[in-house]
Amino acid sequence: MTVASKPTSLHHRSSYWTVARRDSLAGFLFIAPQLIGIIIFVLIPLGLVFWYSLHEWNVLANTFTYTGSANYQMLLEDPNLPAVLGATAIFSVGLVVFNLSLALLLALLLNQKLTGISIFRTLFFSPVVVSLVAWTIVWGFLLQKNGGINGMLLSVGIEGPNWLREPVTAMISVIVVQVFKNVGLNMILFLAALQGVPKELYEAARIDGAPRFKQFRRITLPLISPTIMLTSIITIVGSLQVFAQIAVLTQGGPGVTTTVLVYYLYQQAFQFHFFGYGSTLSIMLFAVVAVLTFAQWQMRKRIVFYES
Amino acid sequence: MNYHRNLKSAVAALAVLAPITWGGVAHAQDAINLRMTIWSANEAHLKLFNEIATGFKAEHPNVTIAYESLPFDTYMTALTTQIAGGNAPDMAWIFETSAYDFVNSGALFPLSDTLKATAGYNAEELSASAAERWTKDGKLFAYPFSTSPFAMFANNDLIKATGAKTPAELITAGQWTWDNAIATAAAVGKSGKGGLIVRDFNYQTWQNLASIWNGWGAAPWSADGKTCTMTEKPMVDALTFVHDAVFKTKAMPGPGESVDFFAGNAAMTITQISRASLLPKEKPFAWDLVPLPKGPAGDYALIGQAGVGVMQSGKNARTAAEFVAYMTNPQNSAKLSQFFPSARKSLLNAEVLKKTNPLLSQQQIDKVVIAGIATGKVIPGHTGFAQIQQVVRSGLDAVWRPDADIPAALKQICGQIGPLLKR
Amino acid sequence: MKADLSPRTKMFLYGLMCVLLIPFVFPTWWMVTSSVKPISDIFAFPPQLVPQTYDWTTYSKVFELQPFVTQYWNSAYIAALVTAGTMLVSSMAGYAFARIRFPFADAIFMVVLLGLLIPSEVTIVPLFQMFLKAGMVNTHWPLVLVPIFGAPSVFATFVMRQFFISLPVELEEAARVDGLGRFKIFTRIALPLAKPALASVAIFTFLHSWNLYLEPVVFLSSADKFTLPQALTQYTDAYGGPMWNIQLAAATLTALPVLIIFIIAQKQFVEGLAHTGLKG
Repeated sequence: MTVASKPTSLHHRSSYWTVARRDSLAGFLFIAPQLIGIIIFVLIPLGLVFWYSLHEWNVLANTFTYTGSANYQMLLEDPNLPAVLGATAIFSVGLVVFNLSLALLLALLLNQKLTGISIFRTLFFSPVVVSLVAWTIVWGFLLQKNGGINGMLLSVGIEGPNWLREPVTAMISVIVVQVFKNVGLNMILFLAALQGVPKELYEAARIDGAPRFKQFRRITLPLISPTIMLTSIITIVGSLQVFAQIAVLTQGGPGVTTTVLVYYLYQQAFQFHFFGYGSTLSIMLFAVVAVLTFAQWQMRKRIVFYES
Repeated sequence: MNYHRNLKSAVAALAVLAPITWGGVAHAQDAINLRMTIWSANEAHLKLFNEIATGFKAEHPNVTIAYESLPFDTYMTALTTQIAGGNAPDMAWIFETSAYDFVNSGALFPLSDTLKATAGYNAEELSASAAERWTKDGKLFAYPFSTSPFAMFANNDLIKATGAKTPAELITAGQWTWDNAIATAAAVGKSGKGGLIVRDFNYQTWQNLASIWNGWGAAPWSADGKTCTMTEKPMVDALTFVHDAVFKTKAMPGPGESVDFFAGNAAMTITQISRASLLPKEKPFAWDLVPLPKGPAGDYALIGQAGVGVMQSGKNARTAAEFVAYMTNPQNSAKLSQFFPSARKSLLNAEVLKKTNPLLSQQQIDKVVIAGIATGKVIPGHTGFAQIQQVVRSGLDAVWRPDADIPAALKQICGQIGPLLKR
Repeated sequence: MKADLSPRTKMFLYGLMCVLLIPFVFPTWWMVTSSVKPISDIFAFPPQLVPQTYDWTTYSKVFELQPFVTQYWNSAYIAALVTAGTMLVSSMAGYAFARIRFPFADAIFMVVLLGLLIPSEVTIVPLFQMFLKAGMVNTHWPLVLVPIFGAPSVFATFVMRQFFISLPVELEEAARVDGLGRFKIFTRIALPLAKPALASVAIFTFLHSWNLYLEPVVFLSSADKFTLPQALTQYTDAYGGPMWNIQLAAATLTALPVLIIFIIAQKQFVEGLAHTGLKG
């Protein structure tokens, strides 16, 4: 309210309510909505998922039997799991590398003073706002053996592969479809970061005779390294959650070559109705994401340039 | 001061939320609201269903029926998620492939007693073969309200243009066999259009290949469902036949090629007869509907079924069962057969079927529809079908390659589904 | 990088960008043009870049077959609510984590960050059961409450925290000396300065809510409650086969307004992100 609050606190028995303590209380109140929300909507469900993973849950028969660590045992012995984890690793690494490089390239291009550059910026960003369903359907159509892409290749005399049905090209296809959909976001983040680099630094370097590429390596990269770190964390975590593209384009095939962990989880839990085992896979997915994020967050001290 | 302000606003927020939370609980004592999940969103279908619901309400004024349309390709997943989440519907449509799962799980409410108790129901009209997978221990757990035979559509314009023999010609000559059918398809395939398409197969829904391999007497598993029979000669031969049709003679489109018969781009297609409604009205082509060709093991027919069951967990299972009885009684079955061919013997005549399939000729109805429903085998199903389907599907990916070792691939599939079949 | 470019370099850059544009733009182009083709033409081979025959009825069918206007409104007001709520919750939490010293702050921040790590497929079943018990299934409550208070808003909190860390402390210290309590410092000083960060939070949050698919599918069962991404998949014929042209017309209608908003507001968007103080 007014300044009067401060002197009052000195008089009352509230030598307890020091400024520091009141500040702490304010802090708790500020974070309360977020924290309570996380507890209710994240932690409790996570706990429930862990609880389910200790049971065999037959949805149709309506049985829910405690089996202890049986599901985890099954996890260790699951013959599909190495392939699934491998597919997940390939997908995530491929996606992150492709996404970040493309985003940086586009951001560098868009950072030029060219007329009409904002049109290009909008167009590169447009897939982000288009519906995921529509985007994936269109690409599914284009990637057919007799679809648009092979049609264009044919017109220059190349016979394209059956994109979605060969193991290697299927993986490349789902990565590419996902990247083109979302790279616009990272591009904007990089663009913002690039525009935040003080121009004087480049001026000084140019006067010193430094070539473009050296400017990029010595000035640009370090100064945007916080953004690179942030986008790589977001992109990796996001890549471990990609589901719709795989569901629509390859259904995890051919064989199990594009069955990533979250899709495998969906199959087990929602298609085969093994909610107990699916929950076990969920816990595993959570563990993988947590470890990766933590590792990256720790590495930030080594990689990020400014760390206040 | 800040603290008090925050507290007051928190209480105010709770006050707003509380009534909304608890509001949904109170409702009229006697009113019964039943929900049925279906996979059709078609206007005409829904109109008919609502009419039937209104008819039921006339005799049961406190009962209201609601139909919930879930998308077709995720129907099973959506339904099981509802059940898992504790939000099971009162009644649900069930695919023939998932029938064993539902019937054997104890999730369904037995219908036999209710059906028998309904006046004028004539439960005996349902043949034993039609009811086989919907029955357990002599009790019917779901009613197969739709029985549709698979048949072959042919585009005679395309076929004649290549000089190949049409199915009708082959049938008259007594030579309507798979070899000849593929020969015709290959001729059209060479001309740049699609040959034979097993609709809805798309290298995913492999159980629809039963429309071909039944001609070899092949089956994915033994009659009791416990042993994998994919490595046996009939299946190996049948799949080799299909493989060669795809990769050697180009009589069938390969994986990832999408060709639409009803757009006039293919010679023949195997599908359910109800698809006749997809025949184009503008730019029509000369078409024919014939039974499936004869295979090495002889003549055969294939049917798909859809069943409707009552969930045991519903509070009003008994009332729901009464509604199912009403919905599938002779009069309403006749109405439903406009869209969903009934398995009732009395409705298996040309007159009734002509209404369902106005585009078909008398001969076509006799030879394809009636004969198909009477003699047809149902598409393969099994308990735990979702998982088995997926495992076989990814195993078959190794077959759909130009240089495939089919016996080896099938051996691997059997190795994987063997334990699953025994469960 | 900002040196004057020779005309040749300019041509090269324009050319490169045009080539790169193709995979970004072509699918959207195909979506829009296919929305006015008759179904058989959509899969025609060779593919028609420009429709040969036009079927203008698809757009009216979009509204006939579904309560599309209601669904549009649903998506819009839910996204607006979620955006407003998230901006409030995340700015408060972000500010507290950035500026206020309170016990266990770091530990609590780690716990909150957990929200970033959990895919929605993982928690959807227990969440469904919770809302079922609260009688909120087939209402919009789950679609509003979970994004505001749960996992999706954690990213916003993170962004706000980063921003507030980058603010000079002097301003707030001056306010303290003037005797302002923490809440006032927040509302009078910190928040007004946070406009760019709030803008980018608003955009991210709006987009996320607008495109949500799994949650509406799980929680909502009546057509008049559906949101747009869910409604898109409902345009099917009698056999469950999608009516592509109508579905793409609906998809076009879904994408268009957001695209227009972005076109208008892109300067603010980019600026907002530039100020998120992504320095540690």
